[in-house]
Amino acid sequence: MHIDPQERNYIVITIALVVIFATAILVSAFAYDIQVPVPYAEVNPNEVATPGISPWGDPLDERVRELAPNKYEAYILAQTWAFLPNRITIPKGSTITFYVTSKDVQHGFIIADTNINMMVIPGQVSTLTATFDKAGEYHFVCNEYCGVGHQTMFGTIIVEE
Amino acid sequence: MKSLITTASERKRPFFPQIALVWRIIFGTLFVITLLLGGFTTLKPVVVLPRITLAPGFNLVDQTGAQISNEQVRGGIALYNFTYSGCIDDCPQTTPLMAEVQARVAQLETGGIPVKLVTISIDPEHDTVEQLAAYADAHNADPDIWRFATGSPMQIKSVIGGGFSTYYTEKEGKIKFDPAFMLVDGNGILRAEYRTAVPDTAIILRDINLLVEEAHNSTGPQKLAYEAAHLFLCYPD
Repeated sequence: MHIDPQERNYIVITIALVVIFATAILVSAFAYDIQVPVPYAEVNPNEVATPGISPWGDPLDERVRELAPNKYEAYILAQTWAFLPNRITIPKGSTITFYVTSKDVQHGFIIADTNINMMVIPGQVSTLTATFDKAGEYHFVCNEYCGVGHQTMFGTIIVEE
Repeated sequence: MKSLITTASERKRPFFPQIALVWRIIFGTLFVITLLLGGFTTLKPVVVLPRITLAPGFNLVDQTGAQISNEQVRGGIALYNFTYSGCIDDCPQTTPLMAEVQARVAQLETGGIPVKLVTISIDPEHDTVEQLAAYADAHNADPDIWRFATGSPMQIKSVIGGGFSTYYTEKEGKIKFDPAFMLVDGNGILRAEYRTAVPDTAIILRDINLLVEEAHNSTGPQKLAYEAAHLFLCYPD
């Protein structure tokens, strides 16, 4: 079979690229733990909003907890079509860890001007941490289409001086 | 004049032998790396606990009135829990498990590595040194293994809330807290969190054994195997 040398070079380069990318995926997945958002924990979506047994069932004002000065954790429940709570007030310089889960369908959670952007899957807890060094209002929205009321799913983080 | 038509004999060139040696080396190396990676991650020749974060520093007072700090505990494996002496009725009970672990570590072969238990009070205003001494006696705490710590509310908040990320609060005189146990290795690194009131004692002991093995074996060339296990997330199931 005759293959033009130049053509053959391109075939070899193509195969090499496939092998290199496959290796890169394996290395990043196993060595650097770069994965699609994996469940931090699993919950029962039918019971996740039950008061007393789940932090997402606590009263709204208790779902944002101060662990220590300037260190917070927030348990946010996504549901059609709202985030609960949808108004979080923290002082400037705070580090806050978000634990977000859904009790019905798949939602998204993105906070503008931060690197927080994650899927919210019923039965799983998505978690990320951000530090807010600038005072102001940060808006978060659902960025995964979840039904006719999708556009009403938003909230605000108020970072006070 | 050279013919424009190529003859069959000229066309017939085997494909693979013409791949340059450099490509064979590249493909071969990638293949071997892939095999090694796959083998290491699936076979898990060495199992380690994840390095979660640095355990917090603290400087508190124990049930005898003596100083207790993270530096004193360092060098040994430490299991922490957070509770208070008035934790009764529907309050989540974590101290019985600590007592069970205390009984079990006495029989553990650790090869000289001390295993310590530390209970930090989340109600320091009521848990005085005397109160903690009585609480320790009530649970048959061996003062060489198991110590109880208290301090100022601010110190405690920064250790438990800030350092171990465990929430507790006092509302209308009633203390509410998330039961949790923390396992810290001899280097002061948090290696396991058990965020429940009733974790499996067998799993806690398995994890303590893993830390003991790691402390003994991760020297010399074997250290590389342990680092690889960390890199490739060879964690226990």
